[in-house]
Amino acid sequence: MTTNPEKPIGNNQLTNNVKAGGCSAKISSFELKQILAGLPKTKHANLLSGIDNFEDAAVYKLNDELAIIESVDFFPPVVDDPYLYGQIAANNALSDIYAMGGKPIMAQAIFAFPTCDFPLSIAAEILRGGADQVAKAGALLTGGHSIQSSETIYGLAVTGLVKPKEMLTNSGARPNDRIIMTKALGTGVSLLALKAGLLSKAEQSLLFAALTTLNDRALEAARTVDIHACTDVTGFGLVGHMHEIAKASKLAARMLISALRFFPSAQEFAKQGLVPASAYGNRKSFEANVSYIKDLPLEISDLLYDPQTAGGLLLAVAARDSTNLINAMSEVGIEATDIGEFTEGIPGHIDVLIT
Amino acid sequence: MKKSLDLRGLTCPEPVLRTKKLIDDQSLSRIEILVDSEVNVQNLTRLGNSQKLSVQSQAKGEHFEVVLQRAATIAKDEHAAHSHEADNKQRQPSHMVAGGNQNLSSTGTIILISRNTFGSTSGESDRNSDKVKEDQDFSSNLLNLFLQTLLQSGHEPRAILMVNSGVQLMDPDGPYIKVLTELREKGIEVLACGLCLDYYGLKSKVQIEQVTNMFAICEYLFSADRIISP
Repeated sequence: MTTNPEKPIGNNQLTNNVKAGGCSAKISSFELKQILAGLPKTKHANLLSGIDNFEDAAVYKLNDELAIIESVDFFPPVVDDPYLYGQIAANNALSDIYAMGGKPIMAQAIFAFPTCDFPLSIAAEILRGGADQVAKAGALLTGGHSIQSSETIYGLAVTGLVKPKEMLTNSGARPNDRIIMTKALGTGVSLLALKAGLLSKAEQSLLFAALTTLNDRALEAARTVDIHACTDVTGFGLVGHMHEIAKASKLAARMLISALRFFPSAQEFAKQGLVPASAYGNRKSFEANVSYIKDLPLEISDLLYDPQTAGGLLLAVAARDSTNLINAMSEVGIEATDIGEFTEGIPGHIDVLIT
Repeated sequence: MKKSLDLRGLTCPEPVLRTKKLIDDQSLSRIEILVDSEVNVQNLTRLGNSQKLSVQSQAKGEHFEVVLQRAATIAKDEHAAHSHEADNKQRQPSHMVAGGNQNLSSTGTIILISRNTFGSTSGESDRNSDKVKEDQDFSSNLLNLFLQTLLQSGHEPRAILMVNSGVQLMDPDGPYIKVLTELREKGIEVLACGLCLDYYGLKSKVQIEQVTNMFAICEYLFSADRIISP
């Protein structure tokens, strides 16, 4: 007896027929390196951050006091609510500016939409969600570009400003620096569970709150101490982004599993096989750089590779600043945790430990 | 009762959801699922394991078949043992396979170390000798890291065999002897080729019970379930 594939239920929902949403749609690091290998390496005296070191955005120095930051990010729908999707995609794009230590000033929308399949009001809601998020960041939405497409895509090209001296990169971590992370892990798994209809209302509201929280206050609070390196945890997952900092800083890292915060039920969902395809891509790209403790549950290691949408900041600070930083975050209502340290060792290698 | 499910063409989370529905039907003892991506195989393996089912998977042309069975029915099914073996053969050291395979014992694994580095350093001849030395040191440290990680991992290979310049790891004054001793204390045989020890001037420094010959090495390699050569 064979059951034939049926058509998905409710064809008029945004996330249907979307193969991978959010940062789950990212091309894997492994593949990306092959694609980019042939590109000329852009070098310029004023280019403070380019394609090297897999930085979050490009930074161009205008003069000694000012640099502009450029970044672009977009993805297919991750949720069915068009307004929420717009907010999340915009938040994710804005995040790259904060990860470089900057402040967004202006954004342009990138929009592809199947106008034959969905009413135009849906498109308007997506753009409204994005515009509201840009306004929340204190930046201006100044235009954009849209096309007809079989698949919906939304995101932003964002311009930000930073003082060259205050720019934050992947390469500044020092031996014995503590690693501080904001936001919980597991958006990829949780969004898949949402698509499967398994996420409770309470779990949904926690997830949506995290996905629409800007990293601006986290960065501002972090500025109260000396930040050595910074990135945001997005498509390459926690392991991938920790690896990028470690590699660029020519250090190894230790990650403490017991210090990690996961979204509720994320471990349970991962255990049941709700693991996004690009988590497997991340595993393939980065697993060679990781050594595990004995008996690390598979659902935990899946979450270490889980692609994050609009994830938190990952910061390297001196050990003496760790507690101050966490307290400063807590004062503005942001939960941050100390999840490990950078050490001398094989550059980019991550030791995963329980405590 | 047995049931087949064709889930090709569906993307995550649909295959997991549809399979879960069948698992909930306790009257089914065996579920055969056809999917078209490895991601689906991995996710169904996780699902099966979380529901305490036995999981087997194999490639079928361009597609994959995943078979889930309730524990009570496995013993009767000799086909299960067969595909278990096929699964084992597909395992690759660099690829962490989903939970279903993790229970397999690895007593039949041999680690063959045939040089004093992890892999080889790149062979560009025009580089200066400092750089070559640096590369050599790096590759050598990597091998040490591998052995340390092996020690902590809980994997228990049957033996670690050292040949060619790999026997330099046995140098009692070298950086590897500590980890090799600890691996030995865990019951892993640590053996070095006598001919090679002789060539590198180490034969007198190594305990006799750790010296072996090519005949024994040949037997170890041919009787191994799996050979890992870092």
